[in-house]
Amino acid sequence: MVRDHAGLQIVVIEDEALIVMDLELIIEAEGHRMVADAPSVPALHAIDPDLDVDVAFVDLHLADDTSGFEAADHIRRTWPDAVIVFVTANPRMLLPEIARGDAVVPKPFSTGMIEAVLAFLHDATKQPPPRVTPPNGFRMRPGYAARLGHHGPAAPRHVRRNG
Amino acid sequence: MASDDDWHQTGDVPHAQGRGDPFAAAVRSTRMPMLVSDPRQDDTPIVFANDAFLKLTGYTREEILGRNCRFLQGSGTSPESVRKLREAIAREEPIQIDLLNYRKDGTPFWNALFVGPVHGDDGKAKFFFASQVDVTERVEAQEKVARQKAAVEAEVAARTRELRDALALNERALEEKTILLNEVDHRVKNNLTMIGSLLRLQANSIDDPTLVRTLGTMLERVDALATVHRTLHQTDDIRRFDVSAFLRGLVADVLAVSGRDDIEVVDRIEALDIEATKATALGLAVNEILTNAVKHAFGDGRSGRLCVAARREGDLVTVELGDDGPGFDPEARGRSLGLDLIGRLSRQLDGTTDWASSSDGTTSRIRFRSEPA
Repeated sequence: MVRDHAGLQIVVIEDEALIVMDLELIIEAEGHRMVADAPSVPALHAIDPDLDVDVAFVDLHLADDTSGFEAADHIRRTWPDAVIVFVTANPRMLLPEIARGDAVVPKPFSTGMIEAVLAFLHDATKQPPPRVTPPNGFRMRPGYAARLGHHGPAAPRHVRRNG
Repeated sequence: MASDDDWHQTGDVPHAQGRGDPFAAAVRSTRMPMLVSDPRQDDTPIVFANDAFLKLTGYTREEILGRNCRFLQGSGTSPESVRKLREAIAREEPIQIDLLNYRKDGTPFWNALFVGPVHGDDGKAKFFFASQVDVTERVEAQEKVARQKAAVEAEVAARTRELRDALALNERALEEKTILLNEVDHRVKNNLTMIGSLLRLQANSIDDPTLVRTLGTMLERVDALATVHRTLHQTDDIRRFDVSAFLRGLVADVLAVSGRDDIEVVDRIEALDIEATKATALGLAVNEILTNAVKHAFGDGRSGRLCVAARREGDLVTVELGDDGPGFDPEARGRSLGLDLIGRLSRQLDGTTDWASSSDGTTSRIRFRSEPA
């Protein structure tokens, strides 16, 4: 499919309609596109596999008692190049499972946090290695961070410690 | 030395008491029950029993002579002990064994039995000599001790089981508590996410700049609460709140939301934690000061430097936010919800907030009591 914009193409897998609307608003305001969304794994299976997907935001508890990990596995098979970002209120519980995705954003998120994540992923996807630092709380699977040539979250550029 | 004379020392006692034999006399009159049986006769019958034996068992001599002594055994006698006794006799070896025996009247007694062979010239057993001691009291005392020991052991086992069960129950309760806490934490975070989403969606659908600004301020406060909750429960001790992680997260977040990358942050935050119960009040107070600084000190696109400091001295915690803006007079600014909130939240923290403002900038300082971990 031909793109009509320079931003990221994003799918959102989340069962709270409100949060989908909110994320879509932030995504679009930053010049990216939410190309599809699904509240559950069966709904995810119905998404056109020919879509061009750069990033997937995936909630852990999905509708119909399905899990974000299953969703991540399907996304990995269908769009192997997409960056899978879990969005969860329980970032402590998922450390061993993070390997099924690439990164984690903690809930509750703020506009600023999602904007910063988008800026980082845009850099990482379109002009690697990323020059922007990811926001506080954004955690990457070590393998993914290494692929980006990025070694974990560092202090933001404009912060000087103990200056 | 023994001589034939020995046989004559008892020549004048009746035969039944051992005439002609001092050893026979001793055996006949001793208080220890004794028997002699003859293995060369069929079924090894008793050929001699002394008076003490008759007294112990209640039988008359006529009733027992010529009988095998197994008539002393009864329903409570251990078959295992009887087997050992029989084997020793068959091998013609001496044996000492405690055996439950029965008197003529049926009453039981514990018999410390000794049986030994007397060998003839041919090397074969000519007689079996047996002595009995009534050890009922000793055995019963032992049994009592054993019973008490068993009772104590059973009691200990029962208590141990109870303790183990209680421990397992406790572990389960703790596990359930942790799951419950995680669940509540999860719901609070999800609800905060939804509240944030609602406010953002609403702010986006209105045009009135005053309303947008008001909603924006609300959203900042909800975001600060969100940052508090993201920071909570991340430490090993869930009762503590990591102030340093929170401050860095909040500053990064507020600056990111403001879209300002021309504000330099000077980080003088020391590693420090406080009671989790004070997290929300401190978080909201710091947020008011921080968002105020971004709006006023660095207003109208003025770039500058924001200094964030935190330290603990004993049970006194200080959080300082300094800017190099134009300064302000808190009295002159009049009443605002923000200042009101800061005052009340400081009191809630059992502390104070003061300002030092000049044309070189403003430093806000929150000081409050907090027990070290």
